[in-house]
Amino acid sequence: VTETRVLLFEGEEVAFSEIDERLQRTGDQGQTTHARSLVGTLVAVGPAERLIEAAEAWADISSNYAIRAILISHGTNPAPPVRISGQMIALSGLMTKYVDNAIAALRLSSLPTVVWFRGGAPEMLDDLAELADRLVLDEADPFPLWRRALTLRERTAFGDLRWTKLTRWRSLMAQFFDIPGVRERMRSFTRLRVGGSDRIAADLYAAWLKTSLSMPVELEFHEHPGPAVINDIRFGDRDQYLTLHLAKSGTCVRTAAVIDGRRSSSRTLSVGDQRLPLLMAEELRIRARDIAFERAIAACVESS
Amino acid sequence: VHSNPLHDGLRIEPAPGPTTLVIFGASGDLTRRKLLPALYNLSRGQRLPARFAVVGIARSENDDAGFRKGFEDSLREFAHADATQDEIAVSLASRLFYLAGELTDPALYVRLREKLKEIDGDEGVLYYLAIPPEVYGDVITHLGQSGLASAPEPGWRRIIIEKPFGTDLKSARELNRLVHEHFTEEQVFRIDHYLGKETVQNLLVFRFANGMFEPVWNRRYIDHIQITAAETVGVERRASYYEHAGAFRDMVQNHLMQLLTLVAMEPPIAFTADSVRDRKMDALLSIQPLIEEDGDESNATNGKNRDAVPNVVRAQYADGWVTGQEVVGYRREPGVDPASVTETYVALRMRLDSWRWAGVPFFLRTGKRLPKRTTEIAIQFRRPPLEIFRRVSPTPVEPNLLIINVQPDEGISIRFDAKLPATRMQLAPVMMNFRYGTAFGREVPEAYETLLLDAMLGDATLFARHDFVEASWALVTPVHERWREERAQRIPEYEAGEWGPDEADALIGREGRRWRTL
Repeated sequence: VTETRVLLFEGEEVAFSEIDERLQRTGDQGQTTHARSLVGTLVAVGPAERLIEAAEAWADISSNYAIRAILISHGTNPAPPVRISGQMIALSGLMTKYVDNAIAALRLSSLPTVVWFRGGAPEMLDDLAELADRLVLDEADPFPLWRRALTLRERTAFGDLRWTKLTRWRSLMAQFFDIPGVRERMRSFTRLRVGGSDRIAADLYAAWLKTSLSMPVELEFHEHPGPAVINDIRFGDRDQYLTLHLAKSGTCVRTAAVIDGRRSSSRTLSVGDQRLPLLMAEELRIRARDIAFERAIAACVESS
Repeated sequence: VHSNPLHDGLRIEPAPGPTTLVIFGASGDLTRRKLLPALYNLSRGQRLPARFAVVGIARSENDDAGFRKGFEDSLREFAHADATQDEIAVSLASRLFYLAGELTDPALYVRLREKLKEIDGDEGVLYYLAIPPEVYGDVITHLGQSGLASAPEPGWRRIIIEKPFGTDLKSARELNRLVHEHFTEEQVFRIDHYLGKETVQNLLVFRFANGMFEPVWNRRYIDHIQITAAETVGVERRASYYEHAGAFRDMVQNHLMQLLTLVAMEPPIAFTADSVRDRKMDALLSIQPLIEEDGDESNATNGKNRDAVPNVVRAQYADGWVTGQEVVGYRREPGVDPASVTETYVALRMRLDSWRWAGVPFFLRTGKRLPKRTTEIAIQFRRPPLEIFRRVSPTPVEPNLLIINVQPDEGISIRFDAKLPATRMQLAPVMMNFRYGTAFGREVPEAYETLLLDAMLGDATLFARHDFVEASWALVTPVHERWREERAQRIPEYEAGEWGPDEADALIGREGRRWRTL
């Protein structure tokens, strides 16, 4: 086993039965200020290589969150090695069928549990849905997971990191529709042009507009290779359109509304921090079921 | 906004509809320190409307460019942001405009109307009076007379009024009357920045969303309540204001009364502005007068109470040592009358005649140049009816405490007794702490961000209503009048850096209680 394959390499290896005692000791030694005031459990589940990235992401921001983090990579070992660092626990290569048992044993009682699903068989969601207050999906090809999620949506709240990346873009579009002039011309907005690196994110965005506005939305996607999921959005026809354009810095979006050929509202706003740990942190604040998301993925699944 | 289906399920709460914020007093300290940084932070969080502008108004000669430069300086100093490089700040700055003029000049208001039209910003307009209270009347009257206090639907006009809202009951009534000549109560937002603090709002959640606390929130289980607002700073550059205001007007009539009523109020039937404010008003009206005629006279005759106001102690800080520095006493501060009897400290004992609180004293204290900067509400519960550990434990049973920290470290703590390990039965108090700053991984918004946003959204829950302001002045004004009648040459002193005068200890000690150690 190489260093890069070991989750929480910097941590201390402990027996599963000693995890509680070890976590308690962490608190007593004052290594973390959160030991006695934790507010929830974050569980990341997936293949080892994707969890190492998750572990690094979480380590970056863990000091700001009173959260117990559990990382469980898929494998075939019924009693895998356990490593602990601060309030993070890693189980490397746990046999898939025992993932839910491990979560049940390690999650904090009576506090929300968010599962960050970074890959695995869609059937795994069935058991996880029983344990998780929220299940956040994070896969390159989300369709098999979305299909499964739609059957489980009464059992737990679902989200998707792709959807999280669209939050600010959705909010900016929603704010345009607070302007009476835009709202009155809503029926003009049927053509959506999205430039970006992720076609599925563009589909999701179009599905959200379509299902929220209850009207057809025709998507035209232009691929822009690069780190940004979305580079620009233009929604509307020739005379009335709304534009969102990612600034060169990649941290801000320039917005403009053109109504009856007249530019009426333009400004620059933050698109939020799109780095993985901060996206995940945003997910931790959500508790409720996201109906807009469920409707959007249902529309995506239907048209796929 | 609420009929916009794109907001459904959005994690970022809806921004208000199109708004122009008109700040009267745009060159002042409040604008620089609080309002402009708050607007920048709201913009960063995508909480400002898609169509937003600021019109700054002040007497000083300036223009849009100068106002924008002031915005940059403000962000550098108070938001630690480089407004010249920050795209959001640059964008927001482009929507900042400035009008110079005398607030008493009707022509200024004509220019304001034209400016609002010119910048396409006359739909929703929020006026902010960040000006000395002496000119509130002029601005309100001119706004009304120039037709700027109302707008046809869907437009709206609202006004935020900073404290002090009057200096006594008479002036508060007069100001309310003047405001209501031009604005309806629904348009008026009297700001008390304490109410914008997360913990203060959380107090409502704590009490009314948690079934376990409300059943013990009454005279049967609570021994007494202490509310403390302590500052380490002295009078600083506010001597001219403070000399006339004093701690009682500056802190008690507004901030501490708000905290007290949030603790004491009955459950509202809904979380709506009027429902919450009605219940706070009930609590305020249940507070008994601070001057009891009979008691006063006997005390005055006996010469027992120096202030002849037995439930209130006032004092002034003397030379001392605070946070590692030697400091001068109040009378030696620049701008302060060397013979001043303005109080920099006040402690009160209040009684609420209500079913819930009969017999439970509320002790309030606030002061400058105290050892620590802290604002908190401490609810001390009664001891258990039978002290079964008295004979076996060498340490006494400490009463349970519930502490709501308002600032600087917002949160809630509960103190309870536990058995010390490895002793036969020795008890020790322990604290369970919840801290906003570390629990949710998100910076707690500044009070002004919350309140500005609420005013733009038209939510008055966290603002003082006219009747509340008048009722709180009705409580404190007789005390001021009595103090004025006394014409005291000196008032009690406390050494800067200590927790107030001995008289304050005596006030709470009369019934065998003492101030909480902070």
